[in-house]
Amino acid sequence: MAGAATSSRQRSKIAPYLMVLPALAYLAIFFVVPFFSLARTSLSETGGSVFMPTMEFAWDFGNYIDAFVLYRDQIFRSFGYALVATVLCLLLAFPLAYVIAFKAGRFKNLLLGLVILPFFVTFLIRTIAWKTILADEGWVVSTLGAVGLLPDEGRLLSTSWAVIGGLTYNWIIFMILPLYVSLEKIDPRLLEASKDLYSSAPRSFRRVIMPLAMPGVLAGSMLVFIPAVGDFINADYLGSTQTTMIGNVIQKQFLVVKDYPAAAALSLGLMLIILVGVLLYTRALGTEDLV
Amino acid sequence: MSKDFPSPIDPQLMARLTARGTSRRRFIGGGAAAAAALTLGSSFLAACGSDSGTSSSPTEDSGPASGTLRISNWPLYMADGFIAEFQTASGITVDYKEDLNDNEQWFAKVKEPLSRKQDIGADLAVPTSFLAVRLHQLGWLNDISDEGVPNKKNIRPDLLEASVDPGRKFTAPYMSGLVGLAYNRAATGRDITKIDDLWDPAFKGRVSLFSDAQDGLGMIMLSQGSSPENPTTESVQKAVDLVRDQNDKGQIRRFTGNDYADDLAAGNIAVAQAYSGDVVQLQADNPDLQFVVPESGATTFVDTMVIPYTTQNQKAAEAWIDYVYDRANYAKLVAYVQYVPVLSDMTEELQKVDPAAASNPLINPPPDVLEKSKGWAALTDEQTQEYNTAYAAVTGG
Repeated sequence: MAGAATSSRQRSKIAPYLMVLPALAYLAIFFVVPFFSLARTSLSETGGSVFMPTMEFAWDFGNYIDAFVLYRDQIFRSFGYALVATVLCLLLAFPLAYVIAFKAGRFKNLLLGLVILPFFVTFLIRTIAWKTILADEGWVVSTLGAVGLLPDEGRLLSTSWAVIGGLTYNWIIFMILPLYVSLEKIDPRLLEASKDLYSSAPRSFRRVIMPLAMPGVLAGSMLVFIPAVGDFINADYLGSTQTTMIGNVIQKQFLVVKDYPAAAALSLGLMLIILVGVLLYTRALGTEDLV
Repeated sequence: MSKDFPSPIDPQLMARLTARGTSRRRFIGGGAAAAAALTLGSSFLAACGSDSGTSSSPTEDSGPASGTLRISNWPLYMADGFIAEFQTASGITVDYKEDLNDNEQWFAKVKEPLSRKQDIGADLAVPTSFLAVRLHQLGWLNDISDEGVPNKKNIRPDLLEASVDPGRKFTAPYMSGLVGLAYNRAATGRDITKIDDLWDPAFKGRVSLFSDAQDGLGMIMLSQGSSPENPTTESVQKAVDLVRDQNDKGQIRRFTGNDYADDLAAGNIAVAQAYSGDVVQLQADNPDLQFVVPESGATTFVDTMVIPYTTQNQKAAEAWIDYVYDRANYAKLVAYVQYVPVLSDMTEELQKVDPAAASNPLINPPPDVLEKSKGWAALTDEQTQEYNTAYAAVTGG
């Protein structure tokens, strides 16, 4: 009896590890190995012939300095665009998620379905559709022009705002869904209680809803900000030569210029900056739960 | 193969939707679009039941060509029914893939297997001349025998004896074309004749240049009195500097691959660097579009059929090239893809297939236009890398 109990207890200790094994193996093969390969490349020197280069590992940190000095503008621009897009997503998504979570009643599932619906179309097609909508000769530009609301360039397409708009539009679902999940979890009786205690509506929003929604805000911001920083499709299709982002640079370094060490240094450097930023942001929001 | 069956999506519509995806020229970037088009392309092929990857019998020295021939070509670079006719005429089964979307990206894909002499899934491919030369220098191409391709004699004399490959020993030209300027008459309100028109302040933010170093810089070098036929570090840098100045002023809207076409037709771009064949096709929908060879001249490009040294069917590849080089067959191709023929004396055959094409100066350019058009010299690897890097610094990486 005693022996059987021990072995079953031992088995129950091993079981969780066995269960995470596939995920760990996946992570090792598809993240850890490529990560170290990328890190190695980023510190290498190229030699050999131009089109069949050999990579020589050399602890060459100069790759990082060169790449970040040369593409400083694009890096700042990427973080700026991603930041503005994240704030816009938050401002647009919060009221929407709030209404779906608290006011939608029996339409809740329908509204959630509508939020997801556009994502059945590939994001490439949706982004190209924006080109048509914002075209110089399109009705949006002519209408805005008629009421004097056009920016200085006299156009919408191929401006910073078109790129930021594209980022906001393409990533907003990743803000809406986590926000909805954390708002939906809020017990309505907490709101009733705050009302019973004579709290005004703005005050209960600030003191009850906001703190409880924080995990959703954090998760949503990261899910929008991180991919938006590295995005290149929106800048490619909706931007101009003045709006290139770091994603465009990395893509070109890898595929056209074929300066693999520089491309790898930019990729890893970007990853590090984002990591530090996210840690600081998590600290500032004072929550470690994601949803 | 895919073209023989009605495809569920109108290729013209696809071209509009995924501008870059269907582009057959060497664009930079837009990998996702290319991937999307590739995925679609291969699903078309799957639907047609053509199984890729089946290996054919190795080359034998005697007997006629047979077995399977695997071809990698650019999208929209083949005429309807052409492959079926070749299959009937030759008894060779063709596995046709439109998986060449971009020269540099295609090179990035095949260079590892080729360096280990492993099969790349193609017995014949159609890279642009400069890349074909690079593959040859790396020792990765088979020679194309004169016996296998008796129709080689039909090649335009200027191409047959071109400095990149005199006698066409390892490259067989497929199509050539002009890199010039295209403009939307409705948007410019005037005719465009020279490179300086690109820098007209009236077109601020409505000009697009090619992101490819050779196609983008060639005609600008010509306008500065230097020539891509004998490029130097200084002459290339001078062109790059001019582009940088104009870009800093906000004159240039985008650096493009083939995707200038949409913006040009929509009126977002007034003047664009353009490929002749594209504009002929676009004119059908939008008569306002015009293509001009700038006063200082245009550059030419040649896409070439090559046989990688990993080919599994050398004889079938040569039989294909010979079939293409028959003037009657080739006229059908030209009428469809609307580029400049690489064979001489095509007017008669073109008239039989498509009289409009025969009289179109963009397809059948008059001698004075061809005279003004210069091709890039065969560059060394170091030169290519140097020019690409210099231009990439301006095109924004």
